[in-house]
Amino acid sequence: MQHEPIVTIRHLSKIYRQGEMEIAALDDVSLDIARGEFLSLMGPSGSGKSTLLHIIAGVDRPTSGSCHVGGIDVTDLDESQLADWRNQNVGFVFQSFNLIPVLTAFENVELPLLLMDLSSSQRRELVNTALELVGLADRRKHLPKQMSGGQEQRVAIARAIATDPRLIVADEPTGNLDSASADTVLEILQTLSGEAGKTVIMVTHDPRAASHGSRTIHLEKGKLLP
Amino acid sequence: MSIPGFVIRNALRNKRRLLLSVLSAAVSLFLLVSLMVLLREFTQPPTDADAALRVAVRNKVSLMSLIPQRQRAIIERVPGVDVMTPFIFFGGKTDPDGGIRFGTLAIEPSKLKRLFPEIHCAAAEYESWLKDRTSCIVGRDTAQQYGYKVGDRFTLVSGIFPCKLEMRVAGIYFGTVDDRNLFLHHKYLDEAMHDWGQTGMWWLKVSSAEVMPQVIDEINKAFANTANEVRAESERAFQASFVSMWGGIKFLIGSISGFVLLTLVMVTASTMSMAVRERFRELAILKALGFRRRDLFALILAESFGLAALGALIGAGGAWAFYTGMDVPRATHGIFVTLEVTPQMLGTAALVAAMLGIVSCLAPAIAVARMSVTEGLRTLD
Ligand SMILES: Nc1ncnc2c1ncn2[C@@H]1O[C@H](COP(=O)(O)OP(=O)(O)O)[C@@H](O)[C@H]1O
Ligand SMILES: [Mg+2]
Repeated sequence: MQHEPIVTIRHLSKIYRQGEMEIAALDDVSLDIARGEFLSLMGPSGSGKSTLLHIIAGVDRPTSGSCHVGGIDVTDLDESQLADWRNQNVGFVFQSFNLIPVLTAFENVELPLLLMDLSSSQRRELVNTALELVGLADRRKHLPKQMSGGQEQRVAIARAIATDPRLIVADEPTGNLDSASADTVLEILQTLSGEAGKTVIMVTHDPRAASHGSRTIHLEKGKLLP
Repeated sequence: MSIPGFVIRNALRNKRRLLLSVLSAAVSLFLLVSLMVLLREFTQPPTDADAALRVAVRNKVSLMSLIPQRQRAIIERVPGVDVMTPFIFFGGKTDPDGGIRFGTLAIEPSKLKRLFPEIHCAAAEYESWLKDRTSCIVGRDTAQQYGYKVGDRFTLVSGIFPCKLEMRVAGIYFGTVDDRNLFLHHKYLDEAMHDWGQTGMWWLKVSSAEVMPQVIDEINKAFANTANEVRAESERAFQASFVSMWGGIKFLIGSISGFVLLTLVMVTASTMSMAVRERFRELAILKALGFRRRDLFALILAESFGLAALGALIGAGGAWAFYTGMDVPRATHGIFVTLEVTPQMLGTAALVAAMLGIVSCLAPAIAVARMSVTEGLRTLD
């Protein structure tokens, strides 16, 4: 990698205890992710992909090891610092879109901006920019149920990028989409990592989707394959 | 959109549930205010200055037991006693129809105005009443309700004593808190009862509030160890003891209020936890987007508060409008003269609503605060 890493993971483990049994969701993972990279994270179901993504994104904590993002060890932050950090640094995209059903596309994208110290006209500008970037400026006033799955996911991406985070994490973003919509979404993610300079980490078990990334890594039983 | 806008949008998500929970809060708060109104009517003490000077003397055994008229001479000699009258509940019904729902009270007319200066009556009418033993004065409310006019005649039969009295309406009075009574001559009753020498109680007025304790003490002592021991007490104390007869009702009202509140809290709490459970994954998403625990807590609290406040506005406001607008004596068949919703009651209702808003969202809010994002996310994928 020619760029300096934005994510530095060292000896990361996550152990779940169930009675006597110990399940290692992540087992001594070390990994660097460069700024602007579009990383595809692949692996069979239960291999620890979501767990790794969640720790990087600051919504889960490891049992041991460190995870620096942009120089900050996210495992060191407390609950409310993490919330602020997520708000400013991470954009989430989920498999099942997860838009708020009673809010319009515009309002869904505006949601994370409500936590920032912005005027409503500043918010409007950011929302419109994000919606234009995903090609849905004309769907501002639509409710999620009035849109197709592909459009919903694009709104979700707009919501993820509205706060201009450096990191975009996507957990199987194309898992619920037909291939045409999936392509659109993947192209948007590509654009984000390329032109917009975002770091994108995408979990997928679809090799075709993974091929849109600049690099693919494989997890199996919590271990990173070489 | 703003955060309050988001709260409103969330609350409006399930309109039927919103309606039901607001209505349940409204109905309960209406009930609560109604119970407070009733309780106040039962326990309200008189507040005028003259009341502070009045003393009621009654048989120590009970309110219903009579006392002998010969006590009068002894009481009148007690220093500080200004004016006194015998007083008895005649328990009159009109004969033969029997329909009557107001107090019929036998007193000594010449003393009435000094004892109860708030009673107003045209001078000529009052004079005519004083002169005619067989006449009475009637409260304005009763006169209106039964259509009595000066000069009307009717027969009163007592539900308590074996006698009938022919009555002429000498005048109409007004100005008391309860212009519904009929006052008749105690002498007229005495004659009908063949000079029985009894009365129900004594009402008297003392010269100043300072001497009252001493007067009460002396009267009580004067008849100690006689066949007719008395209890003298200030009008306030008398009213209170009268009200203690309503003690059972107070307890009942208190219990009903308690149950109303309990039901209300349970209904609202289950509504809120339903609303939150439905949205558990969305709340997890909000957390992922950077909403802190306290932000989510505030969102839930605001929604629950809003529901309760709306319920309070409709329920307590409705009660106020209802009791203010209603013709109370007619609607209650004269049982109550006024049913007043006081600012304190509205304050209590608001307080209850606020508590309700907090209590009902506590459990779901804590659940959300505890929830980890991964846990919330796992419920969906
Ligand atoms: N809360 C939990 N308790 C116990 N085991 C868990 C929990 N969460 C995840 N796991 C286990 O951790 C492993 C990795 O899970 P996950 O990261 O979701 O896998 P993937 O996303 O690759 O399908 C799985 O074996 C899963 O069963
Ligand atoms: Mg997963």
